[in-house]
Amino acid sequence: MKKKTKQRWVLFAFLSPWLILFSIFGLYPILFSFVVSFTKYSGLNPNMEFVGFENYIKAFQDEVFLIALKNTMIFVVGTIPFTTGIALVIGILLNNRRLKGKDFFKSAFFLPSVISMVVISMIWIYMYSSNGLFNTLGSLLGFKMEDRSWLASTKTALPAIMFMDVWAAFGYYVILIFAGLQSIPEQLYEAARIDGAGPFRIATKITLPLLKPTLFFVIAINTIRSFQVFSEIYTMTGGGPRNSTQTIVHYLYEVSFRKFEMGYGSAIAYILLMIIMVITLIQKRVLRKEV
Amino acid sequence: MNKTNKKVFTAMVVLLLVCLFPLLLTVLTSVIPEGDLFHIITGKTLLDFETNPMFLRTKMKTIGNKTYELLKNEKSESENTYLEIKNETPDELTGIGIFLGDKNFQLIKSFTCDMKISGGITELFIGIKDIDEQIKILPLEGDLIKADWGKQQIVIPLDRYEGVDLKHVSQLQILFSSPEVGDGICLDNIGVNYKFPTLMNFVNVWEENDFARYMFNSGVISIFTVLGNLILSTMVAYALARKQFRGKEFIFGLILATMMIPPQITIIPIFMMMEKLNWINTFYALIIPTLVTPFGIFLMRQYIEQLPVEIDQAAYVDGANDFQIFFRIILPLSGPGLAVLGINSFITSWNSLYYPLVMTNSKDMRTVQVGLAMFSKLNQVEWPKLMAASTLAGLPVIIIFLIFQKQIISGLVDGAVKS
Repeated sequence: MKKKTKQRWVLFAFLSPWLILFSIFGLYPILFSFVVSFTKYSGLNPNMEFVGFENYIKAFQDEVFLIALKNTMIFVVGTIPFTTGIALVIGILLNNRRLKGKDFFKSAFFLPSVISMVVISMIWIYMYSSNGLFNTLGSLLGFKMEDRSWLASTKTALPAIMFMDVWAAFGYYVILIFAGLQSIPEQLYEAARIDGAGPFRIATKITLPLLKPTLFFVIAINTIRSFQVFSEIYTMTGGGPRNSTQTIVHYLYEVSFRKFEMGYGSAIAYILLMIIMVITLIQKRVLRKEV
Repeated sequence: MNKTNKKVFTAMVVLLLVCLFPLLLTVLTSVIPEGDLFHIITGKTLLDFETNPMFLRTKMKTIGNKTYELLKNEKSESENTYLEIKNETPDELTGIGIFLGDKNFQLIKSFTCDMKISGGITELFIGIKDIDEQIKILPLEGDLIKADWGKQQIVIPLDRYEGVDLKHVSQLQILFSSPEVGDGICLDNIGVNYKFPTLMNFVNVWEENDFARYMFNSGVISIFTVLGNLILSTMVAYALARKQFRGKEFIFGLILATMMIPPQITIIPIFMMMEKLNWINTFYALIIPTLVTPFGIFLMRQYIEQLPVEIDQAAYVDGANDFQIFFRIILPLSGPGLAVLGINSFITSWNSLYYPLVMTNSKDMRTVQVGLAMFSKLNQVEWPKLMAASTLAGLPVIIIFLIFQKQIISGLVDGAVKS
């Protein structure tokens, strides 16, 4: 009996780092921000006034929030096909037994993914600037370039950030897709080759169907990450010009920590969580059906 | 088959070059003195005296003699004005002082000017004045241009001007003295040449723009986060891997579920909590919440599970308790797993922006990512400095990546298998 209580204490001691930190910085904030989302709480004024669903209703009447929602959707839908597509092509090309320097290529494509988004944003601010790489190249090729940064125009700012994001992210997914490709048994390819299938047929009939779980997984985490786009917006444009690059998380930051409207900020955070959960669930459904 | 392989190889190399070009661009730009990579400025004209005297007063002043003359050079075809200044008092230093605002002389290779000397002047003097009004005047070494127009090169021996703040020079003085009244010099096209390539941009952001402090802060936070994860996350993982207890699967499921929750949900209450504790702008706020991560627990549980149970059973029979088993057996045997965890925690911690941005508002506590983001908002056109700062902020992670790429990639693949 004594031994058993001692065992309990030992177990508790080993679990305690997680128990303590998770309760304080995980469980409590999740529940508390849910409560805050139904109040008018300014952070500066400690009185919480219960307002029911007002913050949630406000969000869908708030023009800026709706723009942010739209931009985030454009961002997600506009980057994921390219990121995944490029990663898939490079992954398949790399998954070739006779290709030399495979590991080197994998690492090199992955390199931008370990560099912080702030640093990457700085590099691209520079390349997009009025005298930067893109304008210089454009002029050299004979195009008439506008004498201003790509990030300064409401038309080009969001696509410019999306283009950068595809560049910054695809290497990460090359690694995941490559790992998925490695798990496809070599005999299948050999059998197909003996049956006289060309590279295109092998790709569509063997590689893609067997890679489906990996691909769905890649798309799922890509979706979650893209919905949370913040660092590049904060560093490159601050949401401007005229909210043309405003995204949900950036707007959430502005509302909560610039205007200190914490109640409204919490409501936006929960709306974001709902959107992510719904989309993940839909993706899971589709995945189950297909596999 | 071989032919297609070669094609694939070439395609990969080309793609790779395009892909890594932005990084190359960054490093190259950081060694440029001024301008950007497509418009490198290695020198420029400071004064050509083609402006009207009123405007000239904002660019320079005279020393030793209040009056000077702007004369036209008849020899040249285009209208070309130059300046002539003569001395009024015997043996007094006479000349001009050129306003530079706030120039870093360590970036400068030399000054040049077109010059003509009259009378018995045998020596020129160069004076440097910093923004705190400290001044030092020394004779110019080297050959002097004589009687007729010629290009004079002025190389300033920086080590002889100690006592003056050479990083913040506000005025350059070109002076002469002569025993006879009426001697003088004519000057035109005063220009400056920069050193190229230069490492001064790095020195500048490191010393003058607080990047030393930012890097230190990020370093402290990352190191504690790594240590915390190595020990604390592994402890939790040990319990989950080796102990049998009720609710184990529930706890493990909960840990995985928290990986999915966006950090934006928790940050507002955490911010409010830190404010109440007066922990905003402290290392506590930046380190403590990241000491145990779901990723760390998950990764280490997997690793410990594949270590043979017989080892700890044997130790247990020999009378070792759980803590001894953990610290003497499990931790030492988990080297490769700990390496993966440590490196990945370091990179995540070093690169994070959102959390330190919210938890700090003083300059002294900024991390390198926050500092860089703020720095860019103030220095939008000083590309060499910006790129030097970016290189500094990215360098630790790039170096670690080059050394430990295998661990980083395996951590990524392991972490991904979780769902």
